[in-house]
Amino acid sequence: MHLPLYGLLFAGLALCAWAGDWPADAAVDAHAPTRTLTPKVVVNSGRLAWEPYKRDLTPWPSLSHLDRRPTPPPQAAGFTPPLRGDVARGRAIALDPARGNCIACHVLPGEDWPGSLGHLLLGYRKRGHSDAYVYQQIYDRRLINPNTVMPPFGTFGLLTEQDIRDLTAYVQSLD
Amino acid sequence: MSKAWTEHATLALGLMLLLSAQPGAADPAEPRRELDLPLERYEPHVRGDLRLSGTYPLWRDRSRLDWRLAGSPEEHWKLNWKFMDPPYNSAVHGGHFALDRGEALYRQLDRSGRFAACLGAPRGRLKGLRTRYPRYRADLGRVVGLEEAIEHCAAAQGQVLENGSYDNSAVSLYIASLSQGLPIAIDVSRGPMRAAFERGRRLFHTRAGRLNFACSSCHVRNVGQMLRGSHITTPYGDVAHYPVYRTQYMLQSLHLRLIECNLDAGVQPLRPGSRAYTDLEVFLTALSNGYPVSVPAERH
Repeated sequence: MHLPLYGLLFAGLALCAWAGDWPADAAVDAHAPTRTLTPKVVVNSGRLAWEPYKRDLTPWPSLSHLDRRPTPPPQAAGFTPPLRGDVARGRAIALDPARGNCIACHVLPGEDWPGSLGHLLLGYRKRGHSDAYVYQQIYDRRLINPNTVMPPFGTFGLLTEQDIRDLTAYVQSLD
Repeated sequence: MSKAWTEHATLALGLMLLLSAQPGAADPAEPRRELDLPLERYEPHVRGDLRLSGTYPLWRDRSRLDWRLAGSPEEHWKLNWKFMDPPYNSAVHGGHFALDRGEALYRQLDRSGRFAACLGAPRGRLKGLRTRYPRYRADLGRVVGLEEAIEHCAAAQGQVLENGSYDNSAVSLYIASLSQGLPIAIDVSRGPMRAAFERGRRLFHTRAGRLNFACSSCHVRNVGQMLRGSHITTPYGDVAHYPVYRTQYMLQSLHLRLIECNLDAGVQPLRPGSRAYTDLEVFLTALSNGYPVSVPAERH
C-alpha cells in the first residue's frame, strides 16, 4: 500500500545522483551545449540573462559550499622513454591560450608578452633535467611541490600524453 | 493504522540516515579540498595591505595619487587602479546613466517608504547604508549583501530586480552614491559576520576548477607579477567602487565580477547571491574597511 511512497523516495534520490555532480547553486543549464553559463547584463532590465559559455567547467570542483567533490589527488605520470616529442608542436601548445598557455606565466625565449610568476625557462636545455622529471612537472607538479600554482595538466585531463611529450621536447630545447 | 505509519516513517528515516552517512553525501567531514597554504591572517582593514603588497600608501588618498605611476605600464598596478575612480572620467560614462536609472527606480520603489525601511534605512536615510553592507539580517536569518537585500525588498513591493541584473545594480549604485567618500565599515569581529568572514577567507584559499587555482594563488602569492599582459593586484581596498561600469562590458556587481574571475580561472561559476559568493563578499569588503566608497567608477 505504501510502495508508491518508497518508489517516489528512490526516484528522488536517483534523480539527485543522475542530475550531475555540480552543486545546486552553480550557473549551469544541463541542456546547454557546454552546460556552463555566463551572465549577460541586459540594460534597463530587472532580469539577468544567461548565455552558454565557450567551455564546460562542470567536471571540476567549484567554490560552492554545496560542492562535495574533492580535489583530484596528485598522480605520478608514469613516463616511458623514448620521448618522441615534436618541438614545433610543443611550442604551438605553449603559446595557445586554449591549451598549454605556458606563456601566461613563463618567460619563453623570443616570445612576446610573457607572464612573470612562473619559473624562468630561459636556457632550460643546459640544466640537465631528465625528460621524466620535466614530463612529471607538466603532468602534475604537485608531486614535486604540493603548494605549486602550476595546473596539473595531465591529472586534470587538460592535455594528452602526446601534448605533454611535445611540450617536454620543446622545454628541453630552450636556449 | 497509526502504528503501521510509524513503522514506515521509521524505516524511511533510517533509509535517509543510511544514505546520508555515505561519504560525499551529507558527510559532516569536509571533502578533501586542496588549499593554497599557508592560510594567511588578514587584517579586516584596508591598511592590512601594508603586510601584503605594501602599495597602500600609494593609493590611500585618491586626491594625492602620483599620476606618473598611472602613465607607466610597469607601475600603474601599484595604484590599485584607483586612478580610474571618479573623477577620472568627468564626462558622461555608462556608470552615470546607471546612476540616473537607479535613482528613478529607487524613487518609484520607495514611494511608501517601505523599501528604504526594508533595506535597513529608517526614515529613508540612505547615507552610510552602503558602508554597512553586507550585514546579518535576523529577518532573513543570514548574512546578505546590498544587492541581495535590494532583490528581496523589491520583491516585497512586487517588483523583480534579480541579483546581478542591470536594474538591481543601478539601484545599488544609487544607494552607494549617497555614501560617496564615507569609509566602508563592516564589523566582522563576532557572530554570523565573523563566521562569514572566516568562510570567505578559507574560500579565498580553496583551489578550484580545471586549473586548480585558488584566488590567493595569484592575489596573495604573486601580487605585482604579470599574468600575460596584466599585473596582479592586491585584494585589499578592492570593493569600494562596486557596482562598477566596465568599459569592455557593462554595469557589474561584485558577484558578477566574481563570476568573471571564476570563468577566467576555469572555475564553474555560481549564481549571484550564492552563499559562497556572499562569504567572499564579506571577506573582501572587510579588506576594504576604512577605504571610501568611490562611485560611479570605471574599470577596463
